Amino acid sequence: MGNAEEMNGENMSELVEVKNLSVSFDTPQGEVQAVRDVSFALHSGEVLAVVGESGCGKSVLCKSIMKLLPASAWIKSGSICVNGVDITACQEREMHKLRGRLFSMVLQDPMTSLNPAMSIGMQIEEAVKVHAPKIGKEALRDRVLALMRLVEIDDPEERRKLYPWHFSGGMRQRIVLAIALAGNPQILFADEPTTALDVTIQAQILKLLGDIQGRLGTAAVFVTHDLSVAAEVADRVAVMYAGKIVEIGTTEEIFQDPKHPYTCGLIQALPVFSRGRDTLRAIPGMPPTLVCPPPGDAFACRNECALAIDYEEQPPMFRISDTHYAATWLLDKRAPKIALPVMRIPHEQPKKDQTLTDEARGKQQEILLDVQHLTHRFPLTKRTVLTVVDDISFQVRQGEIFGLVGESGSGKSTVARCVMNLYRPCGDTRISYRGINTCDPGLFREHRKMLQTTRQIVFQDSNSSLNPRMKIGDIITEPLRIWRIIPQRGSLRAEAAFQMHYVGLDAAYLDRYPAELSGGQRQRVAIARALTMEPKLLVADEPVASLDVSIQAQIINLFRHLQKEHGFSFLFIAHDLSMVEFLCDRVGVLYRGKLVEVGETKALFANPKHPYTQRLLSAMPSPFQFLPGRHKFA
Amino acid sequence: MIQNRTEKIIYYGKKLAVFLASMFILSVVVFYVSRLAPGDPLLSYYGERVEKMSVEEREWAQAKLGLQDSLLVQYGRWLENALRGDFGISYKYKMDVVQVIGERIGNTLLLGGIGFVLIFCLALLLGVLCAWHEGRPLDRIVCKAGMISSCIPEFWLSLLLILVFAVNLKWLPSSGAYSLDFADSLGDRMKHLILPVTVVVSGHLWYYAYMIRNRILEEVRMDYVLLAKAKGLTKRSVMFRHCLRNVMPSYLSIMAICVPHILGGTYLIETVFSYPGLGTLTYESARYKDYNLLMILCMMTGITVMLCNLAAQIINEAIDPRMQRGGQTGGSDGP
Repeated sequence: MGNAEEMNGENMSELVEVKNLSVSFDTPQGEVQAVRDVSFALHSGEVLAVVGESGCGKSVLCKSIMKLLPASAWIKSGSICVNGVDITACQEREMHKLRGRLFSMVLQDPMTSLNPAMSIGMQIEEAVKVHAPKIGKEALRDRVLALMRLVEIDDPEERRKLYPWHFSGGMRQRIVLAIALAGNPQILFADEPTTALDVTIQAQILKLLGDIQGRLGTAAVFVTHDLSVAAEVADRVAVMYAGKIVEIGTTEEIFQDPKHPYTCGLIQALPVFSRGRDTLRAIPGMPPTLVCPPPGDAFACRNECALAIDYEEQPPMFRISDTHYAATWLLDKRAPKIALPVMRIPHEQPKKDQTLTDEARGKQQEILLDVQHLTHRFPLTKRTVLTVVDDISFQVRQGEIFGLVGESGSGKSTVARCVMNLYRPCGDTRISYRGINTCDPGLFREHRKMLQTTRQIVFQDSNSSLNPRMKIGDIITEPLRIWRIIPQRGSLRAEAAFQMHYVGLDAAYLDRYPAELSGGQRQRVAIARALTMEPKLLVADEPVASLDVSIQAQIINLFRHLQKEHGFSFLFIAHDLSMVEFLCDRVGVLYRGKLVEVGETKALFANPKHPYTQRLLSAMPSPFQFLPGRHKFA
Repeated sequence: MIQNRTEKIIYYGKKLAVFLASMFILSVVVFYVSRLAPGDPLLSYYGERVEKMSVEEREWAQAKLGLQDSLLVQYGRWLENALRGDFGISYKYKMDVVQVIGERIGNTLLLGGIGFVLIFCLALLLGVLCAWHEGRPLDRIVCKAGMISSCIPEFWLSLLLILVFAVNLKWLPSSGAYSLDFADSLGDRMKHLILPVTVVVSGHLWYYAYMIRNRILEEVRMDYVLLAKAKGLTKRSVMFRHCLRNVMPSYLSIMAICVPHILGGTYLIETVFSYPGLGTLTYESARYKDYNLLMILCMMTGITVMLCNLAAQIINEAIDPRMQRGGQTGGSDGP
């Protein structure tokens, strides 16, 4: 106990210290090791970003520190010290005293994280009262108003009586933040706090979080799968893969000098790095399931520079500097010196643009889809009507990828559904597909087979767009059965297997059900289903929004391939601007149901004309806003 | 504000119109169906004497009761009188139907009311208890026991209870609402109520308790519960202040709808226990073609159903303001 004082001194700055933490879940498949042997420390006042693909144990790590795990999870080994107190063995009774005051949490989806049946004022009040049960009525009210002002909600006096459903997603996230801050916590866990929000709202919330964090000196653990967001907010970044922290360091170290191949892969998968290239740099494969994790480095099978030892033995944490550690055998003295790809954004002038734009322009490709004066209204009540899409016109040429961007509620999906005849647009809308006006019921009926087979749609949420009671193979070949088309590859099963292989899925999934697949795999099934019909036009409604960076890149590459090799035309709807910038030939910007700007991608991104486009572009988080030697929060 | 008020008036006006229309339809249907069914209403009025009556006497009696006119005329007459508050006389009891019901309604309300309140409270209690102990032995035992008990038919359980407690043990009376000479004694009435109430409760309790349990467990898995826990609330506050609050609207509406259901259940039980309530009365009136009595009893049941639904909606609106004015949530997500 001689160095107890020393220990204390150290712990003063180390707010959270996690040592060799392992957390497991009981599932019908067996024990899932969600967090494996994780150690890290969080210093007071700093922001630590935890990044990684989904299913890598980021959220579980946060929740296990707050002891908010479901009953099926248990801490297998390791210790968690908060503020110098070991809370590993704490029971619920002691934990609820710490929660809210010592640490609190902001969850991913602000739409579901507030109680719909309580006014927001009451919900904030409750959070204040938990820690100050004897607070007077006046003081309580003032505190609630102060909290609401802190998170920049205008007119708090009136708004505190409103219910969550009166607010938009961004406002709700502010309320959640107010609740989280009510007990003056020292640590804030933010679990993907901006993932469900639009780019512009995300920028506001990130700025707010940064401001408040700077003002109150709260330490924060920021879980995100978006590296750009991590770069924007964090002092330090921890990269998680398959339940382990594979690399940890300051933001600059991670982004400028990543040592672990996985970190490199993640950064490289960002679309900015592929400017001017044909394909995005994707990490091949998928994260492993954690039911029985591989004995060696879990990343080895996806790693181009994996060594033999990677498959056998887990790499220890190698020290690169005082702040920078990475777990890869590449850092071992005996390892061959492999130069990881250098992180450099291609400059403004990439080598000759290779996207189809030039070719397409050269050949004057025919117009495949011509949308004129598209208007769609939803009746709200008998008298009021909501105009979702207001008189927009655009064309998609043969072999072109046309991007449609805008925030949620701007009518992007409605456009997609109108184009696919899923909604009936009103008035003098004219949607011509190959010269046929699909809005005319007579013409539609006449050309029904052609229209329905050569136009296909991929929805955002593959979870709800695939029938959970149908096998994957049946889902993929259902269009063939509906139209009684003889499959090109002989049997329906062979056709399904071919399409699955084509989108990069194993044929073993043929007899599985959608629920057994991961989000990325399901999205591939949805794409395979669309491809079965060999469409000319593929409408993709936010096809990658719910997927991880590396999976996103794989799917975007698939789209690019389809366009180049098969001459598919795409109507690509997205809110991720960097993806649109990479993939699309032309872009239209939707704002409140109006098409405010249309143009060639490069021209539009380089020189946005409409103020909304400018706002949208400036809100785009970029991991390269900071240069070497400059701190985010000095 | 002004528009708001007119909207409200229109809203409640519509509700009232629907109410009146359903009452009208109900009365027509009951009126016709009861007269189309076979049976002789004179039997209930004259009893055994009917068999000895001559054709002329019968015709005279039918004319006296107004049974010879066409159904349309009969219904018109009934409606006219009913709107004036005159529901006619009971053929069997030969007095005003309102008076007949007045004598019995207290008994039914006592039985149904006590049964309902017990079911309501016990179901809530059991449901919360099970949800709290989810997956643990207590939860499992309660769920299994509940399932078994809800499978037992009510009449069989009644007979069994009568056999055990009234016939063998002689602890409790087997029938009636009160013993002779003890009409005003509360204790005696309660003694008579124990067995019927037990049957009423055991028949319905588990269903509602199970519903509460499952709805709470659904809520517990919601994100806002996680946030509430992250605030530092104890399990108890999370359970009662958040989960239960969101479960209550659906529970209340189910319970409101189940009021007539429980009353209906008491009808059967009243018959088994020869309990002088509306159940036995309805049964008799339908059996002996006591038309006027049957009409008013059906109308009363109808009114109860509708009032309970209305009450459920009003309570729900108070708890969850999203449900106000026909559940308009400003849904801009789709058509």
